[in-house]
Amino acid sequence: MAFSGWFVALVALGVVPIALVGEEWMLLVWLGVIALIVALDLVLAASPRRLHFERDLPARVRLSETVETTLYVTNDGRRRLKGRLRDAWQPSAGARPSRQPLDIPAAERRAITTWLTPVRRGERRAEHVTVRSFGPLRIAARQATIRLAGSVTVLPPFHSRKHLPSRLARLRELDGRTSVMIRGQGTEFDSLREYVRGDDVRSIDWRATARRLDPAGGQKLVVRTWRPERDRRVVIVIDSGRTSAARIAGEPRIDTAFESALLLGALASRAGDHVSMIIYDRRVRGRIQGAVGAELLSRMVNTMAPVEPELIELDWAAVPGLVRSVTTQRALVVLATSIDAPGASRGLLSVLPQLTRSHEVLVASVTDPDVLEASRSRRDLDEVYRAAAAERALLDVARVSAAVRQLGGDVVTGAPEDLPPAVADRYIALKAAGRL
Amino acid sequence: MTTAAQEVVTPTVRASVRRSIFWVSMVAVGLLIVLALALLTRGASAGGAALSPANPGPNGSMALAEVLRSQGVTVTHAASLVAAHGALEETPTASVFVVDNLGVLVGSQLERLQHESDHLVIMAPAYDQLEGFAPEVAPAGGVEGVLDADCDVPAVAAATRVTGDGVGYRLIDELSGAMECLDSGAGVKSLVQFERGDGLVTIIGTQAAFTNEQVALNGNAALALWLLGTSDELIWYETSIVDAAVPGAPTIGELTPAWVSAAILLLGLTIVALALWKGRRFGPLVMENLPVTVRASETMEGRARLYQRSISRLHSLDTLRVGAISRLAVLCGLGRSATVDEVVAGVTNLTGFDEHWVRGVLVDTVPHTDAQLMTISDSLIEFERSVAARLSTSTAETTTAAAPPAAPAIPAPPTPAPPTPGQGE
Repeated sequence: MAFSGWFVALVALGVVPIALVGEEWMLLVWLGVIALIVALDLVLAASPRRLHFERDLPARVRLSETVETTLYVTNDGRRRLKGRLRDAWQPSAGARPSRQPLDIPAAERRAITTWLTPVRRGERRAEHVTVRSFGPLRIAARQATIRLAGSVTVLPPFHSRKHLPSRLARLRELDGRTSVMIRGQGTEFDSLREYVRGDDVRSIDWRATARRLDPAGGQKLVVRTWRPERDRRVVIVIDSGRTSAARIAGEPRIDTAFESALLLGALASRAGDHVSMIIYDRRVRGRIQGAVGAELLSRMVNTMAPVEPELIELDWAAVPGLVRSVTTQRALVVLATSIDAPGASRGLLSVLPQLTRSHEVLVASVTDPDVLEASRSRRDLDEVYRAAAAERALLDVARVSAAVRQLGGDVVTGAPEDLPPAVADRYIALKAAGRL
Repeated sequence: MTTAAQEVVTPTVRASVRRSIFWVSMVAVGLLIVLALALLTRGASAGGAALSPANPGPNGSMALAEVLRSQGVTVTHAASLVAAHGALEETPTASVFVVDNLGVLVGSQLERLQHESDHLVIMAPAYDQLEGFAPEVAPAGGVEGVLDADCDVPAVAAATRVTGDGVGYRLIDELSGAMECLDSGAGVKSLVQFERGDGLVTIIGTQAAFTNEQVALNGNAALALWLLGTSDELIWYETSIVDAAVPGAPTIGELTPAWVSAAILLLGLTIVALALWKGRRFGPLVMENLPVTVRASETMEGRARLYQRSISRLHSLDTLRVGAISRLAVLCGLGRSATVDEVVAGVTNLTGFDEHWVRGVLVDTVPHTDAQLMTISDSLIEFERSVAARLSTSTAETTTAAAPPAAPAIPAPPTPAPPTPGQGE
């Protein structure tokens, strides 16, 4: 049962008859009248229990995009139902509008549209629908909550896809380049074509030139072209331990790691490499293997969507085994973790030799732009001490980075918005150098 | 399209009644038990008005009233002033016993009662009542203990000894024909009797002597029966709140119409209705586990405050120096593994600053005050800026003749050596 504002007005209106009659008993009479009106309104209101609901939900939505959800409400009762409806979503699903008017004649169906603009990744749930059915006088209402579960998976936003076209263009430049600069272990012979001015003379294939005698007379030179090697392996290991929960510039580290992984995955699968992804802390939270092309990205975002950092430390000792279970061939292993302090990175450093022995290892870590800012700003005493602390943090990162490099790995650091393109660039550089 | 089994979470009226019936019945049974106990123990309780002829409790006076009745006195219990006057009109010769527990009567009302009756007995009147009625008599504080009869008033003489607990009075002015009895010392009397007009007035303060509990002790019964039994009719007037008639200006309650209180009540009910309207929630909340928000720079801030609290100037400065030296080493083209001496030489050569000063800032000087810490920290920034500026100008001016660089503005460096462009190793 619920009341409307008119009910309050009705109660307040009682002052008129009480003043007119001028007796105290009029109050009781008025209360009786109100009770009668409320009872009548409640009896005449359509029952919200006689409604039947069906949800039509999209399976997934990208974070910070808006999606339309539909709720079909069928009135199985014999009375017209007028009232209000609330489709109860979790707060971070960003449902809007939260209250909607409802007017369904008997035995008819209406579609109620709610727009969701989620503000958090993961599975956002709706649990029930509440209907408030007013009587014809709109004084009192019957209210019922009907359990009606529904959920929408909110995928990582993949903001870094804006960097993808420029990186793909760079990748295409690698393709078909004749320059000896890119010739190395990692490149393979692609095709022969006619020499054009500007090609490296060292890539002229003399035997092919001799074989290809132009019948019209005159000699056309033929050059060999090269392309980067394909079918290399890229293994992305994402740390979902406690350090990934920390927020840098308003974004948890794990989200930045996801962005980097998505950009690298998109790029590498376009370049013809096999991309695998493991999200790990002490158990495997997500694993993608053997997917290519568009399927890879959709599987990656679906796997990432529900993963939140756990309050435990990453078990580094198991990581080489995991990588081995994915591939036994030489691969580019990208470790998306944090390298904050020598003490905290001991686990990483202890297993790094095992990985670098057989793989190319790239450690991707987010740095805090606040720290860099703080180390430069020294206007007063507070800021000088703050700068000292920031400098200490930067030195720690530098020490761990140096240790990683000494053990044969490579380090990429950057602010949250810079890290994904930086990882992609490093991948392209490795590919160009034929080190995959 | 997904279809889910429909389950209504809100309980029906019948279900909620069934669920709450146990507790409702428990409360009802409890109320019944309390009511039954109250009815059973009513007689034994000390409740009820003191000195009331209908109160059988220890502080009532039902015993006295009953004995008077059995002695043939018609005791009329008047519960208001109007009732008392009505009874007096019927029996003009009656005695009137005024019990004013509430202290609502005023002198003029007592005056009227005295005019109409032959004998007015007033139990323990207060100062302001006496001021209007008999200004010669004034209360003189509390009295305790047993008092001896000491005058010729028949009631007192018959009693010989009376429980005096109650109030005492004193004559503060000449009052002709006044009899003062039951002295408790210092001129305080518990009974004052005097004649006025053609009637008799008795002011008595021994409240305890008239109660059921103590009426049988000493000569209390004799005193009470003699005082109240002088006439065949006795009007036992117990004041009530409605007797508090104010002769002056009408109160606000008298001025407002009867419906105003009802309207005020309605206003309260409207507020309750408002609460019902706004307080009814539109279905239960949907739970959600939210992540904790931890800023990664918290550790840095915490460490900064630790440095500051422990005033570790040298430690902070050394950290700043290490960072600056490694950056300067890269800027000077020496590599990260360059020694401090090499960096000092490199900076001196590039910027032309005094080598001793550069070494002091980069290595040697120990800061003893906050101001020194600030100065050295500023100098470190200045070094990095100067070196970077020098490098950018030198790369820009490689083709032209190297112009003397502008002397960098530094906060009081100790005599920088004149810039000597082109001076290198």
